[in-house]
Amino acid sequence: MLISSPNKQQLPAPNLIVSHDGILKGYDQNVLLAQILSDRIPKEIRPLDSLEEQDIESILSRSFGFKVIAEIDGIRLNRNYGLIGGEQHLYRYPGDNLYAHADTASDFANYGSAGIAPGLGAWGYFAPTKQDFSEIDKQRERYYLAVQTFLAPGFAENLVKYRDFFKFRKMLIVNPSTGQAVVAVVGDAGPADWTGKHLGGSPEVMDALGLATGSRKGPVLYFFIDDPKNEVPLGPVKVKGEA
Amino acid sequence: MKQFYSHLIEIESIVVELDKMDLTEEQKVHLTGLIDSSLHHTILDAVLSELSPQDKRVFLNHLQDGDHSKIWKFLNEKVDNIEDKIKTTADDLKEELKKDLKEAKNR
Repeated sequence: MLISSPNKQQLPAPNLIVSHDGILKGYDQNVLLAQILSDRIPKEIRPLDSLEEQDIESILSRSFGFKVIAEIDGIRLNRNYGLIGGEQHLYRYPGDNLYAHADTASDFANYGSAGIAPGLGAWGYFAPTKQDFSEIDKQRERYYLAVQTFLAPGFAENLVKYRDFFKFRKMLIVNPSTGQAVVAVVGDAGPADWTGKHLGGSPEVMDALGLATGSRKGPVLYFFIDDPKNEVPLGPVKVKGEA
Repeated sequence: MKQFYSHLIEIESIVVELDKMDLTEEQKVHLTGLIDSSLHHTILDAVLSELSPQDKRVFLNHLQDGDHSKIWKFLNEKVDNIEDKIKTTADDLKEELKKDLKEAKNR
């Protein structure tokens, strides 16, 4: 009796616990990116050194599946790690108003309180008239950044070249604390150096980064996206590959 | 969130009425959520009422995938003047909502 093999009852097949692809469907991998970045970014908010910059370019490019880079055509920003603050909406065409920015009633509740800036962005209106206003113009205002273009090395000597380069230049912004990330365009110049902030984000950008409440500011990584075929859509972005 | 019908719906007039109301942020978020949800379900109901049981399933699958171009291709094949039907449905509901908002404000 003792040496006979025990009667091992197998679970019926449908009850076997098996792993399958669906189990991780919808799982937010951005939190894993936050974990990886936590060891790589400096404790204080300062410009990255070249080794840190290369390391983070590589991590972000692998994570999101497009080329994330600090320098394009010899042009780079004054820094790629800094403090972002919340900006207001921008007028998109002559006659635009705050109410027209909402696609849904919830949009107004979420983003209307930011208000609308009295002046135009650095590039003027997004479209010359309401009739010319397109979906891409709408997306550009929704997901815009104010970047300190005027502090970029070489800006003063190459005003026209730099203006053309920065106008609606696509960038990736990442909140390293949470891994939340958004693709946005350079839609304005600022903030002034004395504010202590290094860039600004539209109400929708701040929301996508998880920085829309409280003081509406926090440290972020921000890099150019090398997207010559204009294939990377604007808006919140999820981690795709292994970081 | 951009819906497949977002480009057909003018929400500005509702937002203007909402802004006239003295609401807390929490109330505003709650009320706007209800408005968006009412619009969404009324429009879905209008679309589904035009489709056969089999086509309803296909439409809902496209909706689940969030592929707006597939949704429009499918609806244009199956329903005549679907855009006009959606617009009319949304306009009728918006008028009712605006009336409700005005009444609530005057209470």
